[in-house]
Amino acid sequence: MLRRFLPALVPTMLAIAGFGVGLADPYFMEIFIMVGLIGTVAVAWNLMAGFTGLVSLGHSLFFGIGAYTVAYGQVGFGLGPLATWPIAMLMAAASALCIGLLCFRYGLRGYFFSIATLAFSEVAFLLVSATLWLGRSDGMMLPSSPDALRYLQFDHKWPYGLIIVAFLALTLFLSQAFLTARPGYYWRALRDNEGAAEALGVPAMRYKLLVFALSAVLTALGGAIFANTFAFVDPRSTLGVELSIQLLVFGIIGGLGLLWGPLLGAALLIPAGELLRTYLGSGFHGINIVAYALLMMLALLLPQGLGGVLGARLARPSAEKRATADQAPAVEAAS
Amino acid sequence: MSAPQPLLAVAGLGKSFGGLKAVSDVSFTVMPGEIFGIIGPNGAGKTTLFNCLSGLLPLSAGTVHLDGRRIDGLRPHEICRLGLARTFQIVRPFHGMSVLENVKVAAFARHPASAAAEQHARLALGRVGMAHLADLDAERLSVAEMRRLEIARAIATEPRLLLLDEMLAGLTATEAAALCEQIRRINAEGVTIMMVEHSVPIISELCGNAIVLNFGEMLASGATRAVLDDAQVQEAYLGSAAS
Repeated sequence: MLRRFLPALVPTMLAIAGFGVGLADPYFMEIFIMVGLIGTVAVAWNLMAGFTGLVSLGHSLFFGIGAYTVAYGQVGFGLGPLATWPIAMLMAAASALCIGLLCFRYGLRGYFFSIATLAFSEVAFLLVSATLWLGRSDGMMLPSSPDALRYLQFDHKWPYGLIIVAFLALTLFLSQAFLTARPGYYWRALRDNEGAAEALGVPAMRYKLLVFALSAVLTALGGAIFANTFAFVDPRSTLGVELSIQLLVFGIIGGLGLLWGPLLGAALLIPAGELLRTYLGSGFHGINIVAYALLMMLALLLPQGLGGVLGARLARPSAEKRATADQAPAVEAAS
Repeated sequence: MSAPQPLLAVAGLGKSFGGLKAVSDVSFTVMPGEIFGIIGPNGAGKTTLFNCLSGLLPLSAGTVHLDGRRIDGLRPHEICRLGLARTFQIVRPFHGMSVLENVKVAAFARHPASAAAEQHARLALGRVGMAHLADLDAERLSVAEMRRLEIARAIATEPRLLLLDEMLAGLTATEAAALCEQIRRINAEGVTIMMVEHSVPIISELCGNAIVLNFGEMLASGATRAVLDDAQVQEAYLGSAAS
């Protein structure tokens, strides 16, 4: 049992430690919140990309659904997170099932699936940017309310950090529970060879829809937490393609084959981006995109991601007997 | 058990790709417990026939009944769960999984719980003599071992009928003989087997009944001996194979 959940437990402990440091240093807490939130969403995204071979470039759609449900739910109907979070997750699941049915019915895979998901999220981005009651491209502020607790409005950042630790733990343990049971095996089989998997009794459609819905629901929860944490949503930060690409980059850098890989990617890249911004000033807009490009080149040298190299090093004694020829250059490159 | 019912009944099966008739009007029955052979030169439609039976390709004509139940038109995973498993000619284990995990994917079809699936996967590996390779990375197996892994995966779905697609091609004589022995043992354990094979000696040794395909048409069917003696078969298949 402990062994089974170790890949979820260790990152959760590290996140709790990070939260502890953040209690002492508000600036660190801000970075911790971004790392924890986007990193966890990247973990949810990776259930599809890394474990099922469905690389979504439209996950900002589900993040946006989460964020805007919270914002509009409060502005329009006075609803708090107790109502808006579940609604957001239901809406994300419904959208994922619709998009999934369409894509998988017509056998979209590989690049075609990625482009289709990107198209759906871009349509949502443009629609929201043009919709008056959703604040158009200016976005929406969540008004402060005297009933602070009901709307999760706090004077300090740490309660949000705590919520994000819980979100991270929930995502990691839930994902690991799925990955180590039948769905995880089916997902990996589908990733590799759908025809062979189906011939071995794997209901491809059902399990692809399952991973899509699960990933979308967790991503929407992330978006909902984002809206409550920052009390502000706009199309660019919650529905834009930049967010989807961030998830992809965190996954590739951290390691797509690992549950916690994308979290590692986020923990390295978000602070690095902050440092770059601090030293280069805010004049360089889009500097992080340039940095990502450089990192993608690094990724070509380390195809399993930094987490993969790290994992290989830690597991070296036991893996010795089947040390592969293709792993060796990657390990060398890291040293 | 009066008048035994055929395990597999194929009637008038046809498959066209556009204007090309890959298989046309193939009919035969496979009785429970036998090893049934399909022979024919390259391009005769043997693999297409297998793809139709296992649900990978939709039929253009005809019907397929498994144990009295119509299975044509069902999805591959449904057919698998009804008890028809197959191996692929081009063997490709699931990437990044151990030998055991590869078989476990198949065992999940009957055993939803992880522990039970793992236990049955180990049994299946034992049945093909690969228990000692369970933790190896599946991609590191030799060709002969991958063929056995393919069989282990198929029998882990606990089929009543097992379709083997050219399992022996490219193996050394020793490896082929060992695999034949394994096929015979799986059959003795109660799995009906239908196999596509090039090698006539192996077919005539293993299979009681067989059909011969040539250019998608059925040249002959019946007892393997009689089928192989058929004049048309001699000309179409054995004649060219001897040259």
